[in-house]
Amino acid sequence: MASSIPVSVPADAAGLEAARGGRVARRTRQLVAAGAAFVALLTIMAVAAPWLAPHDPVRQSLRARLTAPTLEAADGRAHPLGTDHLGRDVLSRTIWGARVSLLVGFAAVMVGGLVGAGLGILAGYRGGWTDTIIMTMADAQLAFPFILLAIGIIAVLGPSFPTLVVVIGLSGWVDYARVLRSQVLVLRSREFVDAILALGGAVPRIVARHILPNVLSTLVVIATLQLARAIVLEATLSFLGLGIQPPTPSWGGMIQEGREYLDSAWWISIFPGCLLLLTSLVVSRSGDWLRDLLDPTLRSE
Amino acid sequence: MSGLTRRELLKAAGVAGAAAALPSALAGPAGAQGTQKRELVVAQGGDISKFDPHFSTSANDIRISFNLFDNLIARHPDGKLQPSLATDWKLTNPTTWTFKLRHGVKWHNGDPFSSADVKYSFERTWDPKQNTRVSTVFTTVDKVEAPDASTVVFTTKKPDPLLAARVAFYGGQIVPKKYLEAVGNDTFNAKPVGTGPVRFVSWTKDDKIVLEANPDYFGGRPDFDRFVMRAVPEMAPRVAGLLKGETDIITQLPPDQGERVNGNPSTRVAGALYAGLYVLAVNSKVPPLDNPLVKQALSLAVDRDLIVKELWRGRGIAPSGPIAKGDNHFDTSLPALKYDPKEARERLKKSGYKGEDIVIETTAAYMANDKPMAEAIVAMWRDIGVNGKVEVVEYSVRAQKNRDKSFKGLWWSDPTSTLSDPDGMFWRLLSPGGPQDYWRHARFDELGEAARFSVDEKFRGQAYKEMTRIFLEHLPWIPVIQPYEDYGLQKHLEWTPNPNQQFEIRRFAFKFRRA
Amino acid sequence: MRALVTFLAARLARALVAVWLVSTVVFVVMRLSGDPVPLLLPPDAPRSEFARVARELGTDRPLPVQYAVFLGHVAQGDFGRSIHFREPAMRVALEYLPATAQLGLTAFVFAVLVAVPAGVVSAVRRNTVVDQVAMGVALVGQSAPTFFLGILFILTLSLRAGLLPTSGRGDWTHIVLPALTLGAFAMASIARLTRSALLEVLRQDYVRTARAKGLREWRVVAKHAFRNAAIPVLTITGLQFGQLFSNTLVTETVFAWPGMGRLAIQSIYNRDYPVVQCVVFLSAVLFVALNFLIELVYGFLDPRIRPR
Repeated sequence: MASSIPVSVPADAAGLEAARGGRVARRTRQLVAAGAAFVALLTIMAVAAPWLAPHDPVRQSLRARLTAPTLEAADGRAHPLGTDHLGRDVLSRTIWGARVSLLVGFAAVMVGGLVGAGLGILAGYRGGWTDTIIMTMADAQLAFPFILLAIGIIAVLGPSFPTLVVVIGLSGWVDYARVLRSQVLVLRSREFVDAILALGGAVPRIVARHILPNVLSTLVVIATLQLARAIVLEATLSFLGLGIQPPTPSWGGMIQEGREYLDSAWWISIFPGCLLLLTSLVVSRSGDWLRDLLDPTLRSE
Repeated sequence: MSGLTRRELLKAAGVAGAAAALPSALAGPAGAQGTQKRELVVAQGGDISKFDPHFSTSANDIRISFNLFDNLIARHPDGKLQPSLATDWKLTNPTTWTFKLRHGVKWHNGDPFSSADVKYSFERTWDPKQNTRVSTVFTTVDKVEAPDASTVVFTTKKPDPLLAARVAFYGGQIVPKKYLEAVGNDTFNAKPVGTGPVRFVSWTKDDKIVLEANPDYFGGRPDFDRFVMRAVPEMAPRVAGLLKGETDIITQLPPDQGERVNGNPSTRVAGALYAGLYVLAVNSKVPPLDNPLVKQALSLAVDRDLIVKELWRGRGIAPSGPIAKGDNHFDTSLPALKYDPKEARERLKKSGYKGEDIVIETTAAYMANDKPMAEAIVAMWRDIGVNGKVEVVEYSVRAQKNRDKSFKGLWWSDPTSTLSDPDGMFWRLLSPGGPQDYWRHARFDELGEAARFSVDEKFRGQAYKEMTRIFLEHLPWIPVIQPYEDYGLQKHLEWTPNPNQQFEIRRFAFKFRRA
Repeated sequence: MRALVTFLAARLARALVAVWLVSTVVFVVMRLSGDPVPLLLPPDAPRSEFARVARELGTDRPLPVQYAVFLGHVAQGDFGRSIHFREPAMRVALEYLPATAQLGLTAFVFAVLVAVPAGVVSAVRRNTVVDQVAMGVALVGQSAPTFFLGILFILTLSLRAGLLPTSGRGDWTHIVLPALTLGAFAMASIARLTRSALLEVLRQDYVRTARAKGLREWRVVAKHAFRNAAIPVLTITGLQFGQLFSNTLVTETVFAWPGMGRLAIQSIYNRDYPVVQCVVFLSAVLFVALNFLIELVYGFLDPRIRPR
């Protein structure tokens, strides 16, 4: 799978041990709430960027370039996180950068979820060759570094928002597909499904009534973990110069731009990088906590 | 790193430590005055791809190939043409050049060098069976003959005033006929044999190339035993390696780093004004860029002084037209291109510009400062009401667009003056059928063609003056800067950079200061 | 035993299909991604030159024909010639293999040597400060984007402290930062898993019995618990090793490590199809082989979970 993706390892057995007692379950709930609050805050920051950011994120001031974090720069403005190589305000760009991360992240999770769920249900429902083909595709995808394919595809289509969303989304379909496929297989072995089908029941209804409710919590857990993955993957691609076009700020792009100045103007890379790290940490951890809370069976996989 | 270099490093560290501990002590620059080094270590921004000089023209490649091989004529760092494998050359009639070859030159494998090698080398460049990448460099040449072992006669199709300059640049490296015919292209590329000041030892891809001094070099044994070229793609480690004393010379030093290199007691910056310009080439076929008034407005809106001062820390000059400073027929009386946003706004208004997108397709870090300059210029354009946009394209995409002539608007070009003459510079690119043929002007074309085939320098001077006037009205390029190409080097060596990206380590250009 | 052989044969067949699928997708994407010819010629070369070089490389032929030629050659173990280097692609890829192998193994050994002891200590001293710090670090290591981790290491340990070189391959000091960056994720995962697996075992009856017999905690862990916790740890460790290659892509790029990952990325930019194909093929084979091996080892280690 693509690089540096926070795949979750089976969670702490300690958590399991204690989760039987309600005290720790309550604590986990609180942690999940805290994670959700963080994401909500981040979302508010992204949405309210035009009002929150002290400066226009693309406004340059060459005379004040590479200014260290200061409250009074050469251009007479405050740049609490400094300016970049074109004199743009790092704080404002970091705030605006959350937009790209979240937008691409959520959209990619949707794409991955839809494709993965669709293929998973198809594989489980049709079985036979369909199943073999889909599962072999899943194997194939896991068998080589996705980021190579991503670079290739972006080279074909050019870096743009839809391309990024689709590429990143497709990098994560396998997990959803596996869960839904096994759920469908479980259901198919039950007789009532055959009965419904015999009575002329429609497949979408079966999916909606019998499959989705059973896997919803699992899907939420996967989606949360995938969100962290997607955000990191977007930043990685931007870092490699394959992300959103300038001057739109994105965290990965800022880290890349600041790399040449790491020695003299570390703030260009480090501030957006730290926010990226924090986001990845909190979101992926929230996924783990959610799993502990919602779906203790998943951890034994 | 060799033991020698590491010892150097340790010694330097020890001295620095002592100086810090005793601030009152005379903190003499560590090892700045002289050295016992016998190994030259250079770091460049990327690895080579091939040794065979007829198969590559990239800057990284020619830093090596121009030292493994010799041309008949060499262009020295001062821009003058000097004897190399040829000791003498003259125009015997308007279409015939006669070269006298140096005696007693030997290939690295011991074979003697002769006129047969020269004839073979030039014919190899355009031989369709060889599939070289320099097959179009000598299109003006009709035939090459070798009447005796030390004479070569070139016959050109029309008078070619620049043949000597062409012979001195890429494509003109002489390769060994006997060895090449015996081993074939692949082995030659893997184990190159030349006549140059260094011999091939080993190559570890994306890491380093090791070469050793050629003791029998006709220009004198170079001032080192070994020459190691390292590939260090990132700027920060390149600079760090220099400051620590691990490398002797680094290429592609960004202007923002000059202060640190000069501030370090044992290192300094050496630069050469680039033999060429950084320009925004314009696709003058797409509206609104087919309108000269729009292009004039775009040019007037660019604050070149600010770009030079801030983004380049003063390491460059604002150009005055299409001819690079230092080239033949550069007009010293012409003022630098003007920055006048008010005038720009007016011309834009007069042009009838209706807010169309104007796109710069820039590479990122292919040329120094390409992306930052593109972003800064677009911001300047926005200030006068132009809807400017930057799109970052990969280098390979740029190469493809260059071939297909499919740029959306403007793009960066860094025309090198391969012949130190306007003909090998703007006319090479902007002429009909040339790679940047997006704009035509009858008089401009007539003059360019006439100047190419005239051996009358006075006439050529007049022609280029008039072409410059036409150029400045129509702006098929928007020249932005003629930068310095900076290198970082240890003070324990003397070396003069070459403006045209050749990396000269022959005796006349390089030596260590001996302690 | 027979069932096992059949099962493994089926897995192997599926794995081969997966490798073929990967190669095909990469083939199509690479051919669509652009033309290598303009990169090989000087910008002022005439159109006829471009056509000539395209003919020489075979890129002027229709895609299905190119694909057929490609498959035919691969079947004979021939991946074609590198466009960029003018050498056999496999030879180029294998030239870069040692650097990647060195980095991957170092990172992996590094990860295991740090992670397993850390996990054990964390489990034994659970909920102490040591445990919390170790697991905190592991969490960060697990969620930090590889490229940013590399940049943090470069800034702090290399540029600021001046302890280690920032990039390239040379003496042993050059490998420390890339190995640390590459190994961080595996290290974190293995440490957390070791801890949880050990905790699971420590709750079992026989461990309690051992404790009740008055054995000291460390001896209990060493003699009884650790061996049983080792199986899941071994599995995840093997899987982590398989994942390492994809992380080498980014790590090698950040540290300019001259290995196969960097070669792959550079080759995409150079439109050097044969080399990309070759590297992807090698990595897919490596990954599949590793998984296969793990399954095999797993099956023998723990008969209870031998596959159906």
